[in-house]
Amino acid sequence: MNPQDLLTLFDAAAMTALAPLIALALGTLAVLACGIIPGGSVVRPIAFLASLAAAAAYCVKTLVDGAPATLVLDGTFQSGPTTAVWGLVFIASTLFAWLYSAHYYEEDAPFKGEHDVLMLATPIGMMLMAGAHDLLVFFIGLELLSIPLYSLAAFRRDRIRSIEAGLKYFLLGAFAAACFLYGAALLYATTGSLSLDVFADPTRRAVILDQPLALVGVALIASSVFFKVSVFPFHLWVPDVYEGSPTPVTALMETGTKAAAFAFLLNALAMLPNSTAGSIALIAVITMAAGNFGALAQTDVKRMLAYSGIAHAGTLLLGVAGSLNGDPARGGAIEAALYYMAAYVATAGGAFGLLALLERENKGTTTLESLKGLAQRRPVVAAALTLFMLSLGGIPATGGFLGKYLVFSVAVRAELIPYAILGVLLSVVALGYYLRVIIAMYMQSPAEGSVVPESRPTPFATTLASVVCAALVIGLGILPRWFLEVM
Amino acid sequence: MTNILFYVLAIVALLGAAGVVLAKSPMGSVVSLLGTFFALAVIYLLAGFQFLAGAQILVYAGAILVLFLFVIMLLNLGAMGSKFELSFAPLQSTRARIAGCIALALALVGLVAAQRASFAAVPERDASAPAIDSMEGLALELFGRYSLPFQATSLLLLVTMVGVIALAKRQRSGDEPAKGEERP
Repeated sequence: MNPQDLLTLFDAAAMTALAPLIALALGTLAVLACGIIPGGSVVRPIAFLASLAAAAAYCVKTLVDGAPATLVLDGTFQSGPTTAVWGLVFIASTLFAWLYSAHYYEEDAPFKGEHDVLMLATPIGMMLMAGAHDLLVFFIGLELLSIPLYSLAAFRRDRIRSIEAGLKYFLLGAFAAACFLYGAALLYATTGSLSLDVFADPTRRAVILDQPLALVGVALIASSVFFKVSVFPFHLWVPDVYEGSPTPVTALMETGTKAAAFAFLLNALAMLPNSTAGSIALIAVITMAAGNFGALAQTDVKRMLAYSGIAHAGTLLLGVAGSLNGDPARGGAIEAALYYMAAYVATAGGAFGLLALLERENKGTTTLESLKGLAQRRPVVAAALTLFMLSLGGIPATGGFLGKYLVFSVAVRAELIPYAILGVLLSVVALGYYLRVIIAMYMQSPAEGSVVPESRPTPFATTLASVVCAALVIGLGILPRWFLEVM
Repeated sequence: MTNILFYVLAIVALLGAAGVVLAKSPMGSVVSLLGTFFALAVIYLLAGFQFLAGAQILVYAGAILVLFLFVIMLLNLGAMGSKFELSFAPLQSTRARIAGCIALALALVGLVAAQRASFAAVPERDASAPAIDSMEGLALELFGRYSLPFQATSLLLLVTMVGVIALAKRQRSGDEPAKGEERP
């Protein structure tokens, strides 16, 4: 790069791509500044929402303009409709987590402002990850997402489980980050570049992937990304961390982190040799088995949903494996993954959010036992939770069903049929534990002598987020064409 | 000559790294880390990266280690021996041995891979552009190609600071750190 090129670096296309990031960054600063101005606690939610809305508006503008995908900033960052839809997914995931967190903590809980600052910084990291066309951009995005999450996981300092979750996530996450850097360094040594461009040219790609050093680098990078999306054998941290973290933060980790890491994985697929499709499909099926059978054994709904998240990562990974067929359109895997994650953000976000509500009422417990008889106590909450469970299980007419259908059809088209069949069978196993939640709510009554929690009025933020989540789940289920056309 | 110097420095860096783990007192660990940092800085110099070597000394050896020393002294970790002693107790457990074997195997895989590496895929550098090892070249990379991650890093540092403060600051006066499962 020459000095005179610096002047053209931030051209109109680059600014369009960066506009949502800038809006969120300014919002983060504004939320931080609300801590020192008088009346800041009133302005803070407005600043938070305004910044999310501005970022979403810029993403929608990119979609409406319909400009083709391009690389900006000297080929380090992608802009285009796909990145914009991912951006909307990230913004929705942050918005849901934030709305559910509004009444989750005690009224006089300290550091509410810091909580919002950390939460608003995570979608910036996610967008950097999803748009990254360069390993360095991805790494900074990964850290910008992870470091706030480490802190948020330990945010309930009055609970030892929360501190444990934060520490565990931090130590393992730091290790994964080190793996990523080591892998990136090895790739740099063999290719002289950190850009994903080096894999664009098939002949050059073949030369690179022929070298053991590059393969070790790719393996290290893949393991750190697999750690973030909780794929077998890097999934062991998930149940403890997800259970210990404050529930809205768990929702953010489960939906946002997973979406961002998969967005990068789909961009970086060219790094993986096509011959690995079979082994990645195998890992995907093992992940689904580990998640589903682990979830069957749980009595705590939050922990159960953590295991179910592992299974969902496996399902999505099957789609990724299916797209390793060398054709540039990737067999529709990107659309399938976008659809799956959009439905998953609404479903898992809503499920965790309602758990957060029930957790407050039940004095911090989220066991199946505490859900018994919920249909009588809170019929609307029980109905919404049922909808989310059905969508997680992939019942038709919900967004979860179509997501699963699209992902499995990608795998079938790539001739990974045995794995797809195993995957579908494992999804049936998953219904076993999703239905258990519904049975507990509708068909069982609380045990004799158990204290029935007093019902408090549902906070407005929780109602709003749940209604939006439920509408999205149903909308994605019955109007798929409309959503697919937007993408 | 350069080769011999490199091997000597590499051994010093490795010994320092071992010292960080094995030293009995935290002070000993910090001093060992200092040795590693200096050896790495000279290795950077040998590779022609003057600025990086300077930054390594200034930032790591200068700022970060001094911060470590402050923390250790503030925490006043009790009976710190004034002597530099090594303790091999961490290596006695079976788990540590298994972990060590795995690490060794991975290092061997890395070595074999590095032995067989070719650099055919590395493109020729544009001769007219300033070299990356000069300060000008580094600045051009940071403010040019990598201006997005460079600027995002500033936000990352800010957010990290906020996160650390939210975690580490005492909530109210007389607050005890968490002991039980749930406080009333």
